[in-house]
Amino acid sequence: MPKLSLMFEGKTVKEVPLGNRPITIGRSPDNDIPVDNLAVSNHHARIYYEGARLVVEDLDSLNGTFVNDLRVERATLHDGDSIHVGKHYIKVDASHDAPVPYDMGRKAAAPAINETMVLDTKARRDMLQQAAAMGERTQFASGRIKVPTIVVLSGSTASKEYVLTNRLTTIGKSSMATVRLTGWFKPQMAAQISQRDDGYYIGPGDKTPTVNGTPIPGPVRLNDGDLIEVCSVRMNFIFRD
Amino acid sequence: MRILGGGVTDVGRVRSNNEDCFRLVQPLNLFVLSDGMGGEAHGEIASALAVETVVKHCMEAETNPAAPLYGNPPAGLSKHAKRLVSAVHLANRNIFKSAEEHPEQGGMGATLTAMWIDGNVLSVAHVGDSRAYLLRNGMLQQLTSDHSLVAEQVRRGIISANEAEQSDMQSVLLRALGTQPQVEVDSEEQELFQRDVLLLCSDGLTRMVTDPEIAGTLQAETDPQKASERLIAIANENGGADNISVIVVRLENESKGWFSWLRPGGRKHAGTNGSAGGH
Repeated sequence: MPKLSLMFEGKTVKEVPLGNRPITIGRSPDNDIPVDNLAVSNHHARIYYEGARLVVEDLDSLNGTFVNDLRVERATLHDGDSIHVGKHYIKVDASHDAPVPYDMGRKAAAPAINETMVLDTKARRDMLQQAAAMGERTQFASGRIKVPTIVVLSGSTASKEYVLTNRLTTIGKSSMATVRLTGWFKPQMAAQISQRDDGYYIGPGDKTPTVNGTPIPGPVRLNDGDLIEVCSVRMNFIFRD
Repeated sequence: MRILGGGVTDVGRVRSNNEDCFRLVQPLNLFVLSDGMGGEAHGEIASALAVETVVKHCMEAETNPAAPLYGNPPAGLSKHAKRLVSAVHLANRNIFKSAEEHPEQGGMGATLTAMWIDGNVLSVAHVGDSRAYLLRNGMLQQLTSDHSLVAEQVRRGIISANEAEQSDMQSVLLRALGTQPQVEVDSEEQELFQRDVLLLCSDGLTRMVTDPEIAGTLQAETDPQKASERLIAIANENGGADNISVIVVRLENESKGWFSWLRPGGRKHAGTNGSAGGH
């Protein structure tokens, strides 16, 4: 099995086998390879298989990730390469067979279940449950339903609170807008919030809204408690239990 | 608003038959797309039946608004959205019935995603993982939620969106037309604005082409037919692992402007009837 060895002053400090899961490196103890050094960022880099390729990716670390002394954002690793983070080295031992990659890259190969199939209700329940048991982030699966809500803090709108129920929520003067702005010179569609599978994203309409004071020209994912401002209307995005 | 549409379907570079089907009904501003599944040629039968049923039901309602509604569409919806939901329920019934009557068609099914534009109101109805997108102010937004196992896992926080894209379970659907006697149909209405661009597509596009590539293509190519062709070409360049179908609809300003007579105006966009080859 291929492995990574963390080296410090010529000695092996830790060995981690390379498997299907990405290996994370950083100062924070929740990393697979924790490196206790101030020059190392909390979540510094990660190493994973992309198809049969072993890849290192710098996670926007302050001091950078180096492969054979060249600073990289992302690089393919080969047997014998050394990755340099802070004062530590990580030796790559990929001389053994690569594990069966869990990710063949979506463009590299046809999916394993090639033919489209439909799960009947029971099979579907079982499969989701199984997946939930395997998954790490099961807090949403445990049944607490959170309702995304816009609470108007100041400014003129038709109502003071809006529950986001649609895939697309518009903020504007239009009579069909979800969050309806009132008053003179307001645009029909000032900004828009779209629901994606992994959350809610706000983006510009005829105006550029700000989120927590930062103007956002393109879609940005909203977090619980974010402050949105557009057309002098201040709103709070929250998840209600 | 002037509504221009274009559409293309392509077998892709791996499959030998095309199980996708689509139709643009320009006089009604109705756009329907379906991706069939099932062994032999049954996926093609299912998707063609789905599209045909939806188009026919909506067209009949134009001449006879009192025609019966199937599947109890939600009361809050507009007339067009109700009709569209009803049409999808009827398509489910027709495919299921056909499979019952012809045992060799057992297991066939289809996705269906349809858009109907009435004035500045868009109605969307869908089942499965063919998607509807809206490009507005450079932001590409998916108007439909995939009824697939991986999308459900992302919504429940079990896997990340990235993991979903890499999953080998992407072809597993939770809902499709024709596999059960009843089906739940998603529907939504949106207000449209000038310069909005709408996209309907089968998963053969979205699994091969990234959102930024889609958004860029729709922005760069303003002719809907050419934009559809370009998207198909990119999907094929990226592997073309499945059948690819695309409908692009663009909303333009009706007012012609003072110097409109100088432009090569009045370009006619012919309605396209697309159907997968072979039948």
